[in-house]
Amino acid sequence: MELKITTLKKSILATSISVLFTSANAYAAADDSHKMHQLYQDNCASCHGSDHGGYLAPALNSETLKGRSPTALRTLIMTGSFETLMPPFFGRLSDNDIRDMVKHLQSTPKLANPAFTIKDMKASLKVYVKDESKLPNKPTFKIDSMDDIIGVAARGKYGRGDGSEAVFINSKTHQQIGVVPTVTAAHIIEFSPANERWAYVKTDTAEIYKVDLYTMQAVRSIKTGWNGPGIGISRDGKYLMAGSFVPHNAVILDAETLEPLKQFELEGIDPDGNMVSSDSGMIIGTPYADIFAIALENAGQVWVVDLKDDFPVTKIKNVGRHLHDAFLTHKGKKLMIASYDDSIVAAIDLEKREIIKKLPAGCVPHVGGGAAVKVDGRTLGFGTNFGTCDKTVVSVWDLDTMELVKQVPVSGGTESPAAHANAPYVAVDIITKDRRARTIQLIDKKSLEVVKTLDVGGHAYFPEYSADGKSLYVSAGYAGDEVVVYDSTSLQKTGSIQMESPAGIFSRGRVKYMTRGLSPDEME
Amino acid sequence: MKLFTYSLAALLAFSFSVASQAANIYAGESKAAAVCSQCHGIRKTSAEAPFPPLAGRDEAYLESALKQYRDKTRVSEIMNNIAGSLSDRDINNIASYYSRLKP
Repeated sequence: MELKITTLKKSILATSISVLFTSANAYAAADDSHKMHQLYQDNCASCHGSDHGGYLAPALNSETLKGRSPTALRTLIMTGSFETLMPPFFGRLSDNDIRDMVKHLQSTPKLANPAFTIKDMKASLKVYVKDESKLPNKPTFKIDSMDDIIGVAARGKYGRGDGSEAVFINSKTHQQIGVVPTVTAAHIIEFSPANERWAYVKTDTAEIYKVDLYTMQAVRSIKTGWNGPGIGISRDGKYLMAGSFVPHNAVILDAETLEPLKQFELEGIDPDGNMVSSDSGMIIGTPYADIFAIALENAGQVWVVDLKDDFPVTKIKNVGRHLHDAFLTHKGKKLMIASYDDSIVAAIDLEKREIIKKLPAGCVPHVGGGAAVKVDGRTLGFGTNFGTCDKTVVSVWDLDTMELVKQVPVSGGTESPAAHANAPYVAVDIITKDRRARTIQLIDKKSLEVVKTLDVGGHAYFPEYSADGKSLYVSAGYAGDEVVVYDSTSLQKTGSIQMESPAGIFSRGRVKYMTRGLSPDEME
Repeated sequence: MKLFTYSLAALLAFSFSVASQAANIYAGESKAAAVCSQCHGIRKTSAEAPFPPLAGRDEAYLESALKQYRDKTRVSEIMNNIAGSLSDRDINNIASYYSRLKP
């Protein structure tokens, strides 16, 4: 009897303890999941996507990580991944957090398209300089021409924090003239074609900074989405258009105040007949008209938005499967846009708003900012492509006849070409993930052959010529941590500017020649 | 003859040491780029990283620290693993390279 009671008591005690434990566990689990979600957003989302769907870096969710060894994932997070932008989190996150993060990633599905509304944008607007009219009316530093300014998107090793900034350089002296810190990695820098003092910096996490180049400071910023680098500026400098990967929308902003004016849901019928919601690809303003062109990556459409009334849209459909980036030609009337999955570059007539032709473009074309040069009366366009394929080539097209001229063999996949009317070579960055990634190759404009390979050190990418064409700038990113400068004819190294993980390089000269390699005279 | 032998030996030793030192730094550069720079950077570490910079540090210190990590007399899960993959020659090369770099 005694025994029985004791047993009963014990079992009641055990039950209540187990109840206590269960609820404590449930509470801890919910708390953990919330904590891990926040940790993911704060450390991983700017590259891997706020929705776990991938962005600059692979998708991390229960589907993509199915069957992967948790130990291997933990090691990868601790040490980072060589030859990629993935940094080491050892010492930044505790070992327990790293273990919990692996569990979190392997159990979290890709999230539904999270909203980011005009209201969210308005709430994120920050004003750093209240009265812009009181700013000095000329540069506060010595420079011959504002076109000599080159902006570099410095990612910072962790894609956020102290190393993340837009760095501005005088491309004649190769000296840094200003730094504008950004919350996460700077990705794209656009210069106003109408007023030399303004530049716009967009980050991986869709913040846009309006930068006063005369005083080298941000005057305003706004967040336009969760992730997405797309940004363009209208020819009159009055409007910006920004597009996101997460969520699937785009917005037109007043370039002066950064106030959002109209939001667009990006969706449409893809070339295979499916109605899809779409990431925003490139957005471009053109010197030819008051319009923006925007690529709907997944829907395979290019939308032309007129900058009048309620910003009406003309949709050009069936352009290609998975559109990405583009460049302009013929005074901005024609657009050459890369389509990853069909390995073509589509030529679009922005005046007639129709497809002219689809041109072969190597495998997985990524044209970067594009390049076009005039040689012997012909306008030649250069297209890079980064797919893994048997032969790696740079495609050269005659942009007047829209015919393929040549596919120039290069040593690996390429991401971005650079050219200048006054420079003899078209530079392309080799990005194949081995020692070749340290190099850029130079294609002679006339012979259309690779004539030189430069070992830049670090992961060399995003070549850009200075506005005068005399210097070639290249980012030695990843572990290189410097921008290297070469004389564009002798190819001797003439400068080095230190910064953390530099990526895209943008010359202010671009606003004059529209597409790199064309002469400003063509524009008049 | 004796003098000749001696000077030949000296010459050989000299040329060997010059050659090996030159090779050291280049080998150290590529090893540093492949193994160390991911965390420690080349000239400096990331402003956001919790790792000490290595450029311009004392060569003997770098060498002894790496050897201690390798034989686990100095304990760090990650450094014991990484230094464990390095040979004496690698350690020499890396220490020689980083110590000569200006931060």
